[in-house]
Order: sequence, then structure tokens, then C-alpha cells
Amino acid sequence: MILILRTTLWRSMFFTGVWWILIQGKTDTWFVGLISISLALVTSFILLPPNQYRFSFSGFAHFLIYFFASSLKGGIAVAWMAIRPNPDLHPNIYKITPRLPEGLGRVILANTINLLPGSLSVELTSSNLYVHVLDERQSIETEVRSIEEKIAHMLRLELKN
Amino acid sequence: MNILELCSIVFLVVGAIFFLAGTIGLLRFPDVYTRLQALAKVDNLGLGFTSIGLLFQAPELMIAMKIILIWLLTLVASSTISFLIARRAMKRGVIPWRAKEHIIE
Amino acid sequence: MNSLNQLLAVFILATLSIALVRVARGPTTADRLLAALLFSTSGVAILLLLAFIEETLILLDVALIFSLLAVISGVVFAQRAWRTKEEKNEYS
Repeated sequence: MILILRTTLWRSMFFTGVWWILIQGKTDTWFVGLISISLALVTSFILLPPNQYRFSFSGFAHFLIYFFASSLKGGIAVAWMAIRPNPDLHPNIYKITPRLPEGLGRVILANTINLLPGSLSVELTSSNLYVHVLDERQSIETEVRSIEEKIAHMLRLELKN
Repeated sequence: MNILELCSIVFLVVGAIFFLAGTIGLLRFPDVYTRLQALAKVDNLGLGFTSIGLLFQAPELMIAMKIILIWLLTLVASSTISFLIARRAMKRGVIPWRAKEHIIE
Repeated sequence: MNSLNQLLAVFILATLSIALVRVARGPTTADRLLAALLFSTSGVAILLLLAFIEETLILLDVALIFSLLAVISGVVFAQRAWRTKEEKNEYS
């Protein structure tokens, strides 16, 4: 019960924030906002029922910093690959067994890998994640492991070994 | 010219260069997976730089926040779309291009 | 400032048009689906720039809708329109 209340409170705060940005801080359409926020809340409960995930803000900050730093680094590398006369591509597909428990954590992992240049998740099965890399000479394993740690910290999840 | 405008110009120009690189990659890379990488990542970085560049020009805070919201939404959108396309291509048996002859596991 | 914004908007539009060559050429359906991605990044960037050039901030909402529609079209194409034969039998 407390879990449901807490989830409702956090999510409605989040949706109110998004709505507030969307209407650029105007207040004259508050009733439309009220309906939209309620609908968003109901939809979110259907798609992602209240669960044991506890969000850590410091974990989120660490994740963001890591994310932007490596996406910049990798983006420059891929852009350079595209521009230079000899692209020198060595693509390959790797199979990685995620240490994160199934569910939201793994979905975030697959999406983060997609946004980090040089790697692309091509399939997520119940036990494995398949990652396509542009340069097989660089180890993707270590990178995925450190993203996993950041996500585990952010959602306060336990990593399996 | 003040410092804000200078920052804005630098970020916008860098963003445009990333868009160009993404397009070149899209045309030059050998298969759909590598092209997806060029597009989904380099272009996203281009959009990121463009957004930051425009933040310096934003007349008020709410507009800056809206630009950030659009950027985040587009990041999630690109990631989702590229995953779906890549997965579908795998299922349809589009074979990834390899530099040398290797056996694909 | 404004002329730079204009120049860059035209520049990104030019890269977008060149990129459409790939969409037209294919060769696989997956390559054609890349158009959805193109419009969600380059298209949004152009709209953001235009919003500042014209000072019509309503274009920011258009950019938002663009990126939402890109997700929907991408999902629909990948999940429904481009299915294998077996999957088609499965669903219909």
C-alpha cells in the first residue's frame, strides 16, 4: 500500500513537471493538464506496475556523467571513422550475459548501449544480449560491465555474478 | 559579440559537423548495422550539440527546459527505433558485413 | 547570430537530403527504415533552429511531435509492416 502511494506520488510529480515544461509555465489550461496527468499516470501503471525499484539520484547523476562522457568520446571516434579516407571497420557481434536482473534494468542497458557510439544492441533475449560493435579490437565487455554497475547503482539493484 | 553568442556559435557549428559526418557514414558504411550506428549515434551527438548551442540563445528558462525535453525524447526515440530496426534485420537474416572472412556465430 | 542559424539550418537540410539517397537506394528494407531515424534527429534539429530564426516558438512543439511520430512510424514499420512470412501467418 505504501509502495503504491509512494509510486503514485513520485510519478505524478514527474508528469506534472513534464506537463509544466510542455505548456511553458502557463496556468490557464490547468484542467487539461489535470486530465493529461491522470491519463499518463494510469497508462504508466498499466505499462510498468508499481515495483521494488528504488531510484537513486546520486546514482542517476553518476550514470548521466558517464553516459555523456562516453557518448562524446565514442561519437568522435565513429564520426572520424566515417570521414577518414579508409574507414577501417571491423564489425562483429558479441553475446553478453547481463548481470542485471531481468526487467527495467536490462531494457535501460540495451538502450544505453544503443546510444553509446560504436555499439548497437541487436537482440535481447531472456538470458543474453547481442551487441554489434564497429571495432572488434576494442573490448565491449568491460564497457558493458561498467554501464551495468552504473544502472545497478541508479535503480539499487543487485548484480548477479 | 559576447561570450554567450560565441559559445552558441561553437556548439552549433560542431553539431553541424557531426550531422555531416553522420550523413557521410550513412552513405559509406557497408551494411545496415554499421549505417544504423552512424545515424543513431553521430546524428544524436549532432542534435545534442545543436540543442546546447540553442540553449545559449534561449530567451527564457522555460524554453531552455523545453529544448532539453525535446532532446531527451529524441534520444529515447532514436535508441528505440535503432534497436527495433537492428533486431528486425537480424530476424530477417540480414548478414552483418565483416572485414575479413569469418564464420558468424 | 540569426544568419548563422539560417546557414546551419540550410546546411543540415542539405545533409538530410543527401542522406535520403541512401534511403532511396536501399538495398534492404532496413536501409529504408533509416528515414524514420533521419527525421527524428536531423528533422528535429532543423525545426529547433527554425524556431529561433523565425522566433515562432510554436515550432518547438512541432519538433516534439516529429520525434513522437518518428517513434510511432519506426515501431509500426519494424513490428508490423516488415514481418517474415511465418510471422504473418502467426498473426493473421
